[in-house]
Order: sequence, then structure tokens, then C-alpha cells
Amino acid sequence: MPGKKVGWVHVVTFAFATAISYVLGVVSSLIFPVLGAPGVSALYVAAAVYVPLGVWMGMWGALAGYFSCFFLGLYPSGYSVVQSLVWSWADFIEAVIPAVIFRLLVKEPDFTVKRPKAAKLLPILVSLGTALLLIGIVVQVAWGQYYGEPFTTAYVYLVYGGLIIALAGIITGLAVGDAKTWLAYIVSVILASLFSGLWGAGTLTIFNFPPPLPREAFWPVFVGWVIGDLIVLSTIGTALVVALTELFKRSGLYVEGWWA
Amino acid sequence: MPTILGELAGVEASREWYRGLHVLTKFFIPFSLSLCILFADDLVSAFSLVLVSLFLVYASGLPLSGLKRYVVIIGSLTSFIAVSLFLFARIPGRVIFEATLLRFEAEKGVFEWKVYVTDAALVYACVFVSRIFAMIFSAMLLLGSVTDREIVWGLRSLGLPFGASIAASLFFRGVKIFVSDFLTIREAMMARGVDFERFSLRRKFSLYSNALIPLLALMITRSYEVSLALETRGITPQSRAKTVYHRYGLGRLDLALILASLLVVVAYASW
Repeated sequence: MPGKKVGWVHVVTFAFATAISYVLGVVSSLIFPVLGAPGVSALYVAAAVYVPLGVWMGMWGALAGYFSCFFLGLYPSGYSVVQSLVWSWADFIEAVIPAVIFRLLVKEPDFTVKRPKAAKLLPILVSLGTALLLIGIVVQVAWGQYYGEPFTTAYVYLVYGGLIIALAGIITGLAVGDAKTWLAYIVSVILASLFSGLWGAGTLTIFNFPPPLPREAFWPVFVGWVIGDLIVLSTIGTALVVALTELFKRSGLYVEGWWA
Repeated sequence: MPTILGELAGVEASREWYRGLHVLTKFFIPFSLSLCILFADDLVSAFSLVLVSLFLVYASGLPLSGLKRYVVIIGSLTSFIAVSLFLFARIPGRVIFEATLLRFEAEKGVFEWKVYVTDAALVYACVFVSRIFAMIFSAMLLLGSVTDREIVWGLRSLGLPFGASIAASLFFRGVKIFVSDFLTIREAMMARGVDFERFSLRRKFSLYSNALIPLLALMITRSYEVSLALETRGITPQSRAKTVYHRYGLGRLDLALILASLLVVVAYASW
């Protein structure tokens, strides 16, 4: 079993994790319709594996996110080499955020589900709450500050409603099992979706060499990206960490530190 | 040896002279095209870049039928560009079409949401669409001419440790293995009465999500087995080979093509 030194087990798992993420990306882009920009789909299943990979494999998971996204950028997304090199940091961010959170705050994650009903409610509440919160902020930034009412009222209702639902989701999450693990996981899902969405939508519309889409598309792409990620991460990602974390630990592939 | 695009989509460069180039040259040509896209900001430069990329695709022997694989991407990106330029922006110019979708009195003025098509917006959209074609051709050119073995040779010739070249090799093997695994899992589901054609998108999403757990469980088993096999050979990921079995040098044609690519980049940069 590996100690604290990088061994073949890390390199091989990284290579296979990159391959599996890539296959999922290709499969989801071929099976589910692409909404507007490639990689921005509510059913982009590949996004679901990056947070678990970050939790299980630390920086190797983040690298797997980067390289799989780089190849996804080339095929089937069709971005150029340079665009893809820049864009791919989005999926690096998606895995590095949980890697950092878990390595700093939760050394021994325990994803055992003690209350299955709470585990089923968690994805719905967290993704719905955060999505409403995000839409509220977008309404205010795009229209509310220029036109005032009725956008400001919509903003207030969406933000407060979203916040209450998201908080209810977080509280429900704490009841699922080990509170520290689940809190870290929920925060990872929300931050990973937001920051990867910012980078992903930004590099697709505002800052790339050159961006493949016009800058006017930033808000729709950003909202679509974040909501899509929230849905797949909170549903499929949760199922993956619950089902496979123990298997990862037992097989000796679990990376306790950053690299080993 | 099939190329990466050949294995994924069955499309690859057929001309021997292009396939025989050094991997660095085959990387540098599409890379320089990607740099040119950066400078193609008007209709003439963007369209000429499409022609240059198309010529290179033709010269390499890549069949244009490969574009079919990108049809969804081209269609979705193009429609998204049109939607964002005509629905979310008001680009000044001669108005070609205008229709109000939503109009109401807001607190600080009248809010209007319009379909607003101007001649400048159309030109702007055409520049973006041309760039999409150029970037897709450049991606096709790279993936349709490079084999995974060449990437491994390239990494070895750079003197990188075994870890890097074996990871690259395993990635490409892994893609094939997991596609096959995914199809096996899918067939197992179909054998148990799952009809992917008839199910709704929501149901399909749930079914494919379920397939993820066995797929990742297989990844864990394989990673363990392959890493054990590598450990038994007595090499570490940090080891470096003192000898290489495949000499990989740049020829005159490689140098000439790299120089020509550089000149094309300079030409577009100074356009």
C-alpha cells in the first residue's frame, strides 16, 4: 500500500480517472442535447465525477479534471488547442475546491448515510435554493440596478427564498450522517459549481484566445453552467461519494494528503 | 496505428506525408492555427482563416465527413451566438429586423426586450461562426493526425520520467477500455428490460447515472491491478530511461512546415 510518497497507484488511478471522465463527457454530449455551448448542459453527467475525484484523489483528481476537460475541449467540443488549454481550468477548479476543503477540514470523511430520507432531500433543497439565489442575483445585476421595480422585488424574493431553501438543504445535509463531512461536501458542491461556472462561462465568452462565444452570452452560459453543475453534483455526485468512498479507502487508492 | 480521432470517430488523415511528420510538427500546425484565430477579428480575416484551415484539412487527407461529428456543436454554438447577439444585445447598425417580445413600465423607465437584428450584428455573428469552423478544423487536424503512440514517444524523447509517458499511454488505453465497459453495462441494463429509445430524458439521465457506479468501481479494480503490475517491474514513476528504442528526429519538411506556420501566425498578427 502506498505511504506518503507518490507511487504507481496514484499515476495509474489518475490516468484512468482522466479516461473515465473523458468517456463520460463524450457519452453525455452524444446522448443528451447540448444547450447552447458545449460543456454547458443541465445533464452534463461528466461534471458529477469531478467533486468526488477531488475528495478521493486530492490534486490528482484536479489534474484528471484538467486533462479530461482539455481533451473534451478538442473533441467533441471542437475548441482550438489554446482555447481548450485555458478553458480546462474550469474542471480543475471543480475538483481542486473539494480537494482543498477536505484536506484542510475533514481528514477522515465519513459518507455513511444514517437518514436516507434526508439524503434524498439534500440534492433537491441545495440545488434549488442555490439556483434561486443565483437567479435572484443575476436579475438584480442585469436589470434591477437599471430599472428598479419590479426586478428589485423579484430579486428580494428570489434571494431570500433561495437562501432559506439552501439553508434548509444544509441543515438537512447535517442530518444525513457525519455533520462535518456532509457540511464540507455541500460547501464543496456549491463553491465548485460557482467558481468553475465563473471560469467556464468567462473563458467561453469574455477572456480566452479568443472566446468562442460573444460576451453578451455570459449570463445565460453562467447560469446554465452553475445550475447544471449543481443538479448533477448534488444528485449523481452524492450517490458516488456515498457508494464508493469506502471502496476507495479499502483499495488503498484514497489520497490522504495533497499528492499521496 | 489509428489516430486519436480515428479511434473515437473513425475519421483520420489519410495522406502518408502528413501522417509521417514529427509529432511536434503535427502539434505545431493546429496550434499556430489556434493562435491565428485570436487575430481573426473581421469577416475577411476570419473567412480566410477558414479557407487556410480547410486547405490544411484537405492536404492532410482528413475527410470532410468528419465534420458530421461536430454538427451538433456547430449548430448549437451558431444558434447560441445568434440568440445572444439578437436577443441579449443591441449592436448599433442598420436595422434589418426588429420585434418587441416584452414591454412594460418599470420604476426607472420602460423595460423592453426585443429581437434586434442589425447588419453589424450579422457581420459580428458571421465572424464568430467562421472562427468556430476554423477552431473545429484545427482540432480535427490535431486529433486526426496524431496517434497515442506518437504522444508517448514525444514525451519519452523530451526526457520526461516514466510516470508521464505511462500515464499518457494509460489514458488512451483507458478511454477504449471504459467505452467498452460502458457499452457492456448498457447492454446488461437492456438485457434486464431497459429500453433507452423509449424512455424520457429524465429517466435516461437516471439510468446513465446508475451506470456510473459500476463504471467507477471497475476503474478502482483496474487501477489497483495495473499499479501492482507496474510495481513488480521494479521501476518508479520518477525513473528515467537511459536508452530509447525509437529515435524520433525532426526532418527538413518538419522544419519547413513549422517555419511556414510561424509565418502564417505573423501574417495574421500583423493583418
